[in-house]
Amino acid sequence: MTPGAGAPGPGSALLPAVDRAAFAVALAVRLREHGVPVGLTPVQDLVRALGAAPAPTRTQLYWTGRVCLVRDRDGLAAYDTVFDAVFGDAVLPADPHARRKGLDTPPAEQGSHEPAPGHSAGGQDGDGLPWVTLPAAVTGAGGPEGDERVALPERLPSALAGLADTPFGELSPRDTALLGQWLERSLPVWPTRRSRRYAVGAGGTRIELRATVARARRTGWEPVRLVRAGPVSRPRRVVVLCDVSRSMQPQAVAYLHLMRALALSADAEVFAFATTVTRLTPVLAHRSARAAVAEAEARVADRFGGTRIAASLRALLASHHGGLLRGAVVVIGSDGWDGDPPAQLAAAMARVRRRAHTVIWLNPRAAAPGFTPGTATMAAALPYCDALLPAADFASLLRVPAAIARASRHPRGGVLTRPGAHGYSAMSLCVLACSISRERPLRRSTGQMTSGWPTGCVPVCHRGCRDRRVALSGPIHRR
Amino acid sequence: MVSTLFADAAEVRRRLDTVGYLVDEGTATALYLSAVLHRPLLLEGEPGVGKTSAAKALAEALATPLIRLQCYEGLSAGEALYEWNYQRQLLAIRLTETTERRLTDADLFTEEFLQDRPLLRAVRHRGPLPPVLLIDEIDRADDEFEALLLEFLGEAAITVPELGTFTAPRPPLVVLTSNRSRELHDALRRRCLYHWIDFPTPERAVEILRRSVPSAGEPLIASAADFVGRVRALELDKPPGMAEAIDWVAALSALDVSRLARRDVLRTLSTLAKSPDDRVAVADALDDLEHAREAAP
Repeated sequence: MTPGAGAPGPGSALLPAVDRAAFAVALAVRLREHGVPVGLTPVQDLVRALGAAPAPTRTQLYWTGRVCLVRDRDGLAAYDTVFDAVFGDAVLPADPHARRKGLDTPPAEQGSHEPAPGHSAGGQDGDGLPWVTLPAAVTGAGGPEGDERVALPERLPSALAGLADTPFGELSPRDTALLGQWLERSLPVWPTRRSRRYAVGAGGTRIELRATVARARRTGWEPVRLVRAGPVSRPRRVVVLCDVSRSMQPQAVAYLHLMRALALSADAEVFAFATTVTRLTPVLAHRSARAAVAEAEARVADRFGGTRIAASLRALLASHHGGLLRGAVVVIGSDGWDGDPPAQLAAAMARVRRRAHTVIWLNPRAAAPGFTPGTATMAAALPYCDALLPAADFASLLRVPAAIARASRHPRGGVLTRPGAHGYSAMSLCVLACSISRERPLRRSTGQMTSGWPTGCVPVCHRGCRDRRVALSGPIHRR
Repeated sequence: MVSTLFADAAEVRRRLDTVGYLVDEGTATALYLSAVLHRPLLLEGEPGVGKTSAAKALAEALATPLIRLQCYEGLSAGEALYEWNYQRQLLAIRLTETTERRLTDADLFTEEFLQDRPLLRAVRHRGPLPPVLLIDEIDRADDEFEALLLEFLGEAAITVPELGTFTAPRPPLVVLTSNRSRELHDALRRRCLYHWIDFPTPERAVEILRRSVPSAGEPLIASAADFVGRVRALELDKPPGMAEAIDWVAALSALDVSRLARRDVLRTLSTLAKSPDDRVAVADALDDLEHAREAAP
């Protein structure tokens, strides 16, 4: 299967008089330059492997090096590039995987050993946002980092709280960054799920034999007190999908900050999509928010183009990341302007729905007064969502985690509606979808939160849904 | 240093061939290096590409036992390493009470009361050749279990606090498989050699089918391998792997099909397409697939 098996080199090995250690280290250094993390153990492995089995052909050297040095599939393409750059003028990479990759990655011949583009954030560090088509409110890209540091002490929480209600499009990039940091610090506790791992604890359901017998030693081998074990709770996995198409341009940076906050505090898996899906989890986990967001923007190749929500969801479900959606809280951030036919989106959402525990849709336009989710796309997606939440400013973003936590406590029945604040529940979404499909004008509820729920949501579970439906179609008055 | 199990990668290939498992050079090199360097081998690849079978074939080729540990969430030391036989311990306590003998810790925590679980069994295996330990679908276990594996993978040793450390006389050949449903920890990756198994090339796929389903005729195998390759190129929820291809050809062969016809494909589609959506997608694309097959020489 491997073409280009090189002719045997002089002597028995390909590299007769070469210092194996120096060779392995040099190869590892080149790989690191291409962004592949190569530790000391793999280098040691390669030296030992070459000692145990000197590679007489190029192909064998290729496989030996690949098996020893690369510990992740993501590094395979970079390895092929480096290997070809080092070992001369091969036209085709030896490996079918690399050949597939080769179509969209630049050939190795051009870049001698420069780092691959996209692995270095150096280009963006100086000048902030890497594109030029932003509206005036968002361009300008803030001052250099120095400014930010100087400005920090003046930004008291009260000032931030005021800014939190400003729509994303009207914020300066510096305010966006500051609010992003604030968001990271303010995320509340995340919803949990019961895992299958058991741990010793009071009130557990199982008798832990090992601990019970260990304890019985103290009482002459008489198990006087039974030790119990109960299931451990884990944070529920969160998968965030964020639309970065043209129509979402003002919100893109703010959503990246939300994704970063979730990735850091809730171990979320985050993806950006417009026409294709890009995984941003490792990028956004960078320590510096600024570097992380800049790198994420550089990583997304198709930002500010058209939107293909259905195709992107299908691609995500088909990829090996599709398994991440199982039992997870899936958060989709999009305005619902889709280039794909609504029927396709409905099919894709149905599949997401079957895999996920909770599906939440964030829509920046839902905050506008008089908003009804009337686009064909939103109408198609609504029956599969547990909640539709407004997300047009940082204050509403900050309410999202609490709302999600509540939705996952009452899956399928939880209601996140805040009358007058444009959140919709699972049940009300169905009602909405019905009423939209019947093309009847939908009367919206107005007024403020009804009682003292912290984020202004009115929780209703299964039994209350019927009543809530009535409430939704009529006004809820201020108490 | 040099392994006595295999002389070189070509021998791995040859010996796996004799037990009916065909490998490419990459997989052979990975298995060979894992044996020479006494390092665990982490195999990744699409589902149904033959990761688990690689370990099974390795054990068969070496005529050594295969010890298998299937991973799942919540897998703990008691199920993976060892467990004390508490019932027998308590029974022994009661028995000694009747004979008025004195009982010490050392009497209760002996190998007599130790229950081997897969990892300890692999370490304590006595035989001319080391066993093959298959840790299957490690991505289904949780982080805690990965951490539990580290001592074993690094040192091929297991410590039982009451008895001491067991070290394998010959380190077992450890094969881990993962479907990448979860990112494995770097500490685990660092201790393993890594190999990504690709779908086999069409020629090798034909060869594999010929070996796995000896009853199937030559034209059927060639057209079926070709067909599966085309189906894999469709946008499916779950593209058929090698395992599905083998099942399918076996099904066709059991129905005495010698040439691929539309009716037979539809009849046996459930072995290839594993979800209703996929079934519809393949059935819809059947005409195109057949045209493409006719057009190809």
